[in-house]
Amino acid sequence: MAALSIAYKDLLILFKNRGVILQLFVMPILFTALFSGALGSLGSSQQKDTRIPLAVVNLDGNESATRFINSLDAAGGVRVETYQQSQAQALLDESKIMRILTIPSGFTSNLASNQPTTLQIINHKNAAIQETEAVRLVVEGVAQEMTLESQILFSLQQMGDMQANAPAEFQQAFSPKVMQDQAKSQFESARSQELITVAQRIPTQQAQALSQAENNPTMEDVAVPGFTVLFVFLTAQTTALSIYTEKKIGSFRRLLAAPISKATMLAGKMLPNLITGILQVAVIFAFGVWGMQILGLKPVSLGNDILALALTLLLLVLCSTALGLVIAAVARTEGQIGGLSTLLLWGLGFLGGCFMPLFLLERFLKQIPMAVPHYWAKRALENLLVRGLGLGDIGLELAVLSGFTILFIAFGLWKFDFD
Amino acid sequence: MPAILEVDNLVKKYGDFEAVGGVSFEVEQGEVFGLLGPNGAGKTQTISMLTGVIPPTAGTARIDGYDIRTQLDKVKKINGLVPQDLALYPTLSARANLNFFGRIYGLRGRELKERVEDVLRIVALTDRADQRVDKYSGGMKRRVNIAAGLIHHPKLFFLDEPTVGVDPQSRNHIFESVQRLNRERGMSIVYTSHYMEEVELLCNRVAIIDQGKIIAMDTIKNLISMLGGGVIYVGLPQVNDEVLAGLRDLPAVTEVSLVSQPATPPPAEDQEPEVIDRPPISPETLVKVVAKNSQQAIVNVINHLNQQNLNVTSLEILEPNLESVFLHLTGKKLRE
Repeated sequence: MAALSIAYKDLLILFKNRGVILQLFVMPILFTALFSGALGSLGSSQQKDTRIPLAVVNLDGNESATRFINSLDAAGGVRVETYQQSQAQALLDESKIMRILTIPSGFTSNLASNQPTTLQIINHKNAAIQETEAVRLVVEGVAQEMTLESQILFSLQQMGDMQANAPAEFQQAFSPKVMQDQAKSQFESARSQELITVAQRIPTQQAQALSQAENNPTMEDVAVPGFTVLFVFLTAQTTALSIYTEKKIGSFRRLLAAPISKATMLAGKMLPNLITGILQVAVIFAFGVWGMQILGLKPVSLGNDILALALTLLLLVLCSTALGLVIAAVARTEGQIGGLSTLLLWGLGFLGGCFMPLFLLERFLKQIPMAVPHYWAKRALENLLVRGLGLGDIGLELAVLSGFTILFIAFGLWKFDFD
Repeated sequence: MPAILEVDNLVKKYGDFEAVGGVSFEVEQGEVFGLLGPNGAGKTQTISMLTGVIPPTAGTARIDGYDIRTQLDKVKKINGLVPQDLALYPTLSARANLNFFGRIYGLRGRELKERVEDVLRIVALTDRADQRVDKYSGGMKRRVNIAAGLIHHPKLFFLDEPTVGVDPQSRNHIFESVQRLNRERGMSIVYTSHYMEEVELLCNRVAIIDQGKIIAMDTIKNLISMLGGGVIYVGLPQVNDEVLAGLRDLPAVTEVSLVSQPATPPPAEDQEPEVIDRPPISPETLVKVVAKNSQQAIVNVINHLNQQNLNVTSLEILEPNLESVFLHLTGKKLRE
C-alpha cells in the first residue's frame, strides 16, 4: 500500500508538470505524425492497394484455369497480374516481381476427368516470408474450393450417367438416400485426396527476413514502432529525476525514516513510470490507429496477436523503468541525469533503430544495434506490427529484452545510494 | 522518569572520516533535550542513525525499549522526524503533503483526515491548507515541515534545525508549537540547533557536540555555571608567565590561560565554513580570563596590565550563556 501511495503522489506531481506531459504524450504524437506525414511519400501512399501482387502464368488457357484466376483475384489478399511465361521469368530475375504462379497446361481437362494437377509457385529469394505464406494460403484455399466443386460435379455426372444407363429394375438403387451418401463420400474424398495441389519454391529464412522490410517499408511502419520504443525509453529520465528530486528536497530522508522498506520505496518510485509508460503507449497507438486516419495517413496495424503486442509493450515499459533506476543510481546531479539521459536514451534510440528501418541500420552498423535494448524492442514490434507475426515468433526478442530488464534492475539496486 | 531514548556509544564512519565518534546520552520521557553544535558537528548524523535513515557503524540505541539495530520497524513508528531540509513536495498543497505522509504511516480514511486537521491546527495553517506549498513563505513551509513529522503522533519527536531561514515571527510560532507539544501532549523531543538562544529557551538538558563527540552534557543552568561570572578575552602584544601569574592572583578571577592562535580548518567541500576565528582575537597574543564576577574582574585586569605597562589591543567580555560555554569548551564560536 505504501508503494501505491508513493506512486499516487508521484503521479499527482507528474501531471502538474506541463513539460513532462509535453514530453510524454505530445512529442511522440508529433514525431510520429511528422515522420509519417512528411516522409510518407518514401513509402506507401494512402490510396495504395494493399493486396499482395501475384504474377500468374496461364499455360492452360481454358475455362477452369480462367475461372481459377478469377476466383483467386476475387478471394482478396492477392492482386493477380497475368503474364506470359518468359515475361514473368524476366521480371522475377530482375526482382520486379516476387513470385510467379504457374497454371499447367491440361489443368482444365485434368479437372474434368478428375485427375490430379499441380500448381507451381516460384518465390524470389528476397520474397517476404509472411507474404509467401499468405499467398500460399490464398492459392490453396481457392484450389480446395475448386477441387471440391470439381469432384462433386464429376461424381454427380457419373451418377447421372449410371442412372440413365441402368435397367429399370435397378432404378431404385438411385434413391435420395444413396445420392446423399455419395455426396458425403465425395466431400471426404476431396479432403483427403487433393485434386489440385500447390508446390512452391521457398527461399531461405534468412533471405526472407532481410528482404521483407525492404519490400514494403512505409514510414508509418517505421515511425510507430520506432517512436514508441524511443519515447517509452525516454520516460526513464522521469524516473531518475523523480528519485533525484526526492533526495534533493530531503523527502527521501523522511521516507527512509518511515516504517516502509527500501524495496517498497523503490517500487513506489518506479511504479509511476510503469503507469505513465503504459498510458504513453496507449496514446501513441490510439493516435497510430485513429489519429493517422484523421490526418489522412495509413493507420497503424495492430498485427495479428494483440496478446503478444501487449506483452511486448509491457516488457518495453518495464525495461525503461529499470533503465531509469540505473540512471538514478549512477548520476549524482541534475546535470548528470540530463547528460546521461541524452546520451543513453537518444543515443541508444539511434543505435537501436528508432529513427530508421532495422534492415537499413544493420547495413551500416552490422551487429552493433544488437547491444542495445531498443533494437530488440523495435524488432519485436516490427515483427508483430509490420510482419504480422505472433508470440511464438518473437521469443528471442522478448527474452533479450527481459535479460536487459533484469540486468538493469540488478545493476541499479547494486549501485543505488540510499544515504 | 524512565528514559525513552538511550544512546550507547553510537559511531558513524565514512571511510577514515569519523562523523560521529561514539556518542552516548539518555532522554527522559517528556523531556526536551537539545543537541547543540556547529554545522558539521555530527548532530544530523546522530539523528539520522536514531531515526533509521542511515545505519550506525558501531554502537546502538534503544527507543522506548526497542533496539535501533534489530527492531527498526518498531522504532520508526515511535519516532517523528523533521529534517533540516524542507522535505515537502512543493507543487502539492499542504493538505496533500500531509495526506501522503499520513498514508505512508498507514493512516487511512477518517483517522487520516482527523490527524491532518489536528496537525494543521497545531501549526496554525488550517486556513491555507489547500494552497500549494511553493506559494508559502519560508516560515509557513517550516511549519508544514513540522506538521508532516507529527502526522502519526510520535512519542519521540526529532527536530533537526527546524528554524533555519525562518523569520522571527514564524520562529516564535515554532517555539510555541514545540512547547505546547511537550507541555500538553507530553511528547519527548530531541531538538538540534546551532542557535544557542533556541536551546536555552526550549530545552531541559543539553548535549554540546563538536567534531562528532559530546563535550559537555547537563542542564543549561549547570553548563552555564561552568563559566562562573563570565569570560574575558584580552589581546596583548606580548605576555609571559609572570603576567599570567599576576592575573591569576587578582580578585574575582578564577582561571587564566593563554590561548594560542587558532588554526581555522578549511571548510569542507560544498559546506559553509562552520567555525570562525575566536571573537576577541588580536594579531599578537590572547589571554582568556574566567571570572567569578566579570564587572569586577575587568577593572582589576585593566588596572593590573596598566601597572605592567602592557597595552591592551583588544578586549571582549562574554556574559555567561551557552554561547560562552561553547566558546569556553571548544575555543570556537558558531556562525550566526
